[in-house]
Order: sequence, then C-alpha cells, then structure tokens
Amino acid sequence: MGARRAVITGVGAVSAFGVGYDALANGLAAGKSAVGPIRSFDARTFPTRVAGEVPLDKTGASFLEKHRGMLLHVGEATAWEDAGLLRDRKVCFGLVAAAEAWRHARCGGAERKASLSIGLGLEQAFLEDLAEQLDGDEIRIGAGDLAGPEGVRFRSRVDLTAEKIRAVIGLSGRVAVHVSACAAGGMAVAHAASWIERGAADVVLCGAADSMVNPLGIGGMSRLGAPSPRAEPSACRPFDRRRDGLVVGEGAAMFVVEEESRARARGAEIFAVIAGHATTQDAYRATAPRPDGSRALAAMERAVRRANLRPADVGYVNAHGTGTQLNDIAEAKAIRALFGDVPTSSIKGAVGHLMAAAGAIELAACLLAFTRDLLPGTAHFEEPDPECPIHVIGPRPLAKRVDYVLSNSFGFGGQNVSVLLGRPR
Amino acid sequence: MTHAGRMAVTGCSLRTPLGDDAATVLRRLLAGERAAAPNAHFDASTYACRLAATIPSAPRPTKHRKFVKRMGLFGMEVGAEALARSGAPAKGARLGLFCGYGGLRAHWDDLMPVLERQTGDERATGAWGQGFSLLHPFWMLFHLSNNAHALLSIDLGAKGDGTTTAGSNAGAQALQAAIVALATDRVDAALVFAYDSLVEPETLLSLGTSGAATAAATPAAIVAPYDERAAGIVPGEAAAAVVLERPEDAGERAISFVSAAATADGAVDFPSPRALASLASALSADDTIVDGAALASPTRDAAERAALAGVLGPSATLLALTASTGHLGGATAVVQAILLAEALRAGALPPIAGLDRPAVGPLRPLVRAEETRARSALGLSAGMPGLAGAVRVEVP
Repeated sequence: MGARRAVITGVGAVSAFGVGYDALANGLAAGKSAVGPIRSFDARTFPTRVAGEVPLDKTGASFLEKHRGMLLHVGEATAWEDAGLLRDRKVCFGLVAAAEAWRHARCGGAERKASLSIGLGLEQAFLEDLAEQLDGDEIRIGAGDLAGPEGVRFRSRVDLTAEKIRAVIGLSGRVAVHVSACAAGGMAVAHAASWIERGAADVVLCGAADSMVNPLGIGGMSRLGAPSPRAEPSACRPFDRRRDGLVVGEGAAMFVVEEESRARARGAEIFAVIAGHATTQDAYRATAPRPDGSRALAAMERAVRRANLRPADVGYVNAHGTGTQLNDIAEAKAIRALFGDVPTSSIKGAVGHLMAAAGAIELAACLLAFTRDLLPGTAHFEEPDPECPIHVIGPRPLAKRVDYVLSNSFGFGGQNVSVLLGRPR
Repeated sequence: MTHAGRMAVTGCSLRTPLGDDAATVLRRLLAGERAAAPNAHFDASTYACRLAATIPSAPRPTKHRKFVKRMGLFGMEVGAEALARSGAPAKGARLGLFCGYGGLRAHWDDLMPVLERQTGDERATGAWGQGFSLLHPFWMLFHLSNNAHALLSIDLGAKGDGTTTAGSNAGAQALQAAIVALATDRVDAALVFAYDSLVEPETLLSLGTSGAATAAATPAAIVAPYDERAAGIVPGEAAAAVVLERPEDAGERAISFVSAAATADGAVDFPSPRALASLASALSADDTIVDGAALASPTRDAAERAALAGVLGPSATLLALTASTGHLGGATAVVQAILLAEALRAGALPPIAGLDRPAVGPLRPLVRAEETRARSALGLSAGMPGLAGAVRVEVP
C-alpha cells in the first residue's frame, strides 16, 4: 500500500477582491490590488486608513443567505444576527468560504464525517457592547441589566467560527482550532494534511478566517506600529526598497483536503497535492524575526525534505512578505539560501495581511500556479532592495509552468510554517 | 496492554486551586477537600454563580508582564519548570513546544482609556485622538493567543515544531499534536503546556445564567457531580505542563505514559455522552478507572455514566477530580495527565469530594478514598461548544 497523500479538491475564498475564489483568482491574475480606504467604519482620524477590506458594508444574515450554498435552516441566520453572532466579520467570511469549498469539491452526505482544522484570529470585542457595560470609570459585567442577551464574550468567542461552520455543514469529525497568530492558517492546513497522512481522517475541511478591520483591530495595530504610515492603496510594498509596513486585510480561505485515492475514486477534481509541510520556531524575540532567517529556512527545508524533493524542484515561493523592514530581509535571506533565484512574490500588497487567515488565502493564491500556470505578482513592488536579494515577481503575475510551490507563514514571536503544494498528476 | 500512541512523561508542573505540586494536590484530593470559595478575583455578589476555585498564588515577577497576563504567566512558569525537571536532553530544533489555550479573555481594563472618552461620539470620529492613541503600544500583544507560547519558546530556546490550539479541549489537542510530532520523529522532546481560567466575568455570567455553574451560596452548599441532586460545576482555573518523550528515549526517566485524543460533536453546549464514550473507546485498553467529565447535572451525569459503561463496563470506578479543583477548561487534560499518574503511583484513588448521595446508575462513583493496584486510568473533559478531550495515563 502506498503512502497516504493529502490533496486539495475544493477551495473557497473571501478577500478584498470580493466574495468567492474566482474573485481572488481573477484579481491576482489581472495583477490588480484591492487595498483601499477603510469603509466599514470611520477611520479618518486613525493613522492607518487603508486596508484590504472585503467590499461590503455589513456582514449579517442577508450576506449569508446570498452566498450560502449551505444548509441554513429557515430563519437560522436571522436568529444568529439577532443574537449578535454575525457582527464579527470573520464568522461570516469563514462560513461563506467553507460553503464554497464544500460545494466546489462536490461534497455531500458521504463527506459529513469530515474533520475541521481551522485557524482563527482574535476574539472580537465591540465598542458598543463595552459602552453598554460602562459605569462611570468601571466596566461592569454582571447580572440583570448588565448581562446582555448572552454575555458579551460569548457573542464572539474565539471558536465561534468553527462551531458555526461545523454546525451548518453538519460535520461530525474531529476539530482543531489553531490560534498561532499569523501562522494559524498555514498550520491549520498542515494539520489537516497530517491527519490525512496518518489515517486520522479521510476528509478535512480546513483553512482560516480573520478580520481586524475594525476600530480595535486597526487601533491596536496602529499603536504597535506595524502598519505602513502611508494612507494610500500602495501602502504595502513587500520586498520593495521603500517598504515601511503592512496593510491590514481581512477574509477567509477554506479548502477541502482529502486522501488522494479516495478523491480519485469518487471522481473529484484535484487542484493540488499537499506534498510537504513543516513548522519551526524562531526562539528569538517577541516582536522581531530571527535576522538570519535560519528557522524560517529550517521550516522550508523540512517541508521540501518531507516531500522527498530537492530545493531545485520548487518553482515558486509565496512569501510571507509582510512589507515590513525586518520580515522581508530575514525571509529573503532564507529563500536565497535554500532556493537561490526562485521566483518569489507576496500577495499582501494586493489583499493586505489577513493575519490568522494569511496562510490560507496565500495557499489559495498558490493554486493559480496549477490552474492557470500563473505565479501571482507582488503589488506595488517597483524598486528592488539590495537587502532582499531574491527574484521578486513584479506587480504583474508571471506566466510560468511549475510543478511545486511553497508558501510561508510566520507568526508573532517566531512561529513558522511552510506548506508545499504539488501539481496534481 | 498499552496504547500505540502513548509517550513517556518525563517532567511535569502545575498550578491549581489546590496547590502547586502534584503531591500536595493529591493529598488534598484524598482528603476530599474542595477549593471552591467565594470568588477571590472580583465581586461576584450579583452573579448567579458566586463561587469559584482560584489559584491562590500569584505569578512570579517577570519581564514578560508587559506582554502576558496572569494565566499566561502561570503557563510559562509551569512550562519552564516541567522542562527543567524532565532531564530531557533535547534542545533547539529537537525541542517542540505545544500550547493549549482555553480561550481569549478580553482585557476590559486595558480598554478604559479608549472607552471613557467616547461618550457622545456615536460615529467614533474621535476614536483615535480621544482613545486609541492612549493605548499602550503593546495592548494588542496582550490579546494575542500565542503570546505565552512565543515568549516561552524564546526563553527555552525551543526551535522545533510548535503550535497553539484553542478551545475548552485545547490541552488534549496540544497533547495529541505533541504525540504526533514525537511519533513522526520531528522532535525528540515535546513540552506541552495548557492554561485556562473560567473565573472571568463574562464566562461566569454565561455559565451562571445557563445553569451550567453552581448557584450555591456557600461552599458547603455545593452538591457534587454524580450526586442525585447535582446542580452545576464550580468554575476553576489551572496551568499545567508535561514534557513528553518517546518511551525508548525516556528510559528510566519516564514517570508515566500518556496518550490523548480530542474531538467535537457540533453541540452548542456540552458535548454528547456519545462523544465522550467514543474518545474513551479510542484510548481505552482494559481500563477500569475513569475521571469523568463531571458536569454536575443529573441528566448529563447519568447519560455520561451510561455511555461510559458501554466502553468500560458497568463496574468501572468513577472519579471526579474537578469536584475538588473546580472545572479547569482547556487545562483539564494536562492536569489529569499529572494528577491521575500521581494517584496511580501512590496507589490511592481520591473520592469525589462532597458526594453524599450518588445517583443510581452504572459505574461506581467513588465516595471514599480507596487503595488501588491499577496502573492506568482514563481522564475525560467536556466544554462548550461540544468539545471533548481525553487522556489515558499509565504508570510504570
């Protein structure tokens, strides 16, 4: 019996390009950028005023109904909205992306035993909730009038997205919730592949959802100093000499990952093989990557080795590429050391940094390499930086046929994950 | 008979409401003590649930206070202690770190500078100048779910595999991930730490109003799980860590062996008894002792006992460590891994604290401490939404 391999048979996405995987794929294939002024709240006074924001004013029941393709009971979405459960945009994004991936893979009753591995971002607090609990100079949460309908926290707890996806699609397998910050999405997909390889699952719905395009998210990130201070659509310029920070994005990407022979037996279309994956830790500093990129390199190297490949087999690297000074230099060193002049890009200039969902949306972008023979470009990359001596694909995608692509995600404090995808045979 | 996915435990450490070392906690468990007391963290006099089991000590002073709050600091402390005690030779890239994190708790107090100046500004047009600009630059880092993980990896130089998982079965998830990393030779030692506190205003509010938590006015009035009058859990908190190594690497350093599983069944509240029984079935190897999920609801307790009887037999011994420690959320599985091993090594099983009138049903809820010659036991845990965890512990 051959080794079990995990393959991707369905994908769904919600991004600044719009709802649906096609919107993302078409936007990237056209070399566009979807970063623009924040519309969902009044950010005029914030230092950060642009984002990779999903183009809709409000998430809620109507949004879910419109894009459902899932087994919502009559009135269910409205009930969730009434209970305040849909204000956290990542809940809606995750649900819609999951439904699209499920539909795309033509999953049905035979797949209901599927497991779920999902990366999620921070629990979302809402200013209006907090204001209700404000009593003089104290936050009062308690019994009676101070309770709120279900309690403040339970309207947006960290695993709410997972619970709703599981309930709506009717999955009955195991669940893993990854919260390794910006590495969470990549880790969720890697974990799904690991389950498949070990025989712990045959089908896994996996991916990530996040949104920090709200006053707390943008405000907190601004205080941290991570976003670019330039309030313009070209604010994020990965690997460009003039880069000065990231742009916050939001959205979700979900995949149906299943055991290869099972997928083939049911006639599912295979979009990619998850050929390798690995995680490492920097063990360096909380707020900066290891400057020599050695642990990022180790993650990439291990992913390649696990796939029984050589670095030269990898034809494209989808970089974490945040557009910050420190990340891009360290990552470029690692890529150069392992892969030499391999074509590399970051889509964060086009869709923003989706935080916990970054790894997932970037893996979705990687599928372009197999479905259209296109390697996504690096929006707003114009001036190469001598400190990032790698082959950065410019703003336009590169038409090239490659067999293997690798995607990096690096989280706060140096949690690294690399996922290697292969062209299906 | 042993379980295929088991790994050796070579070091451990914990912080619980009953103490900071396993021997002390076991002694108090055997004495039938309960940690429940009037909420020590904040004034809960208006809450439906006014009692809690809290860790009496405070985290040690550390430079990490600027990034991590109380429970995360406890998690980091026990992680470092467990590794130091293990004698594990693995370092750097061969040392993995796996964190189970119960769930994010909003830090309302840090938001005060933002909130108190917003009154009357409905569109929040002054939100930056009047509020957010006053936030501490690291405010967001307090919120990060993996901050304790990241900083501990730095302190310990752990450069191998690692992940942070979340949810009320996070400890079991982290154990499971660590066991896989060891089994596939990705690391030579895996430090697993988990921490959680249910003693937070929003959590207590929800648990209290839903009836899941006790409404007893005094500790003496609490009715134990598996009692015919059981009426809700006691919210608790804990941090715990174990170092896992492959049995052949651990050799004589192995103090116990552990396997783990986690699942979810889609329930909005607690997982079904069937999910718990399924986990028990996956891990069990002729075990006759189980530390139950102990949800302290006559209906749930009865259903759990019936389901477990189908796996373990009707006369299996039923424990409920959380009757003493309080419910420990995402930290439960790691705490069970430590305390069940301590009990097996001592040859003594603790009673279900406060159990006066066991409900009629299968399994044998332990009313009094008793000696045991068993070398293995199962531990189950259940949390919302529909999350279940399990560990199997075996001593040499």
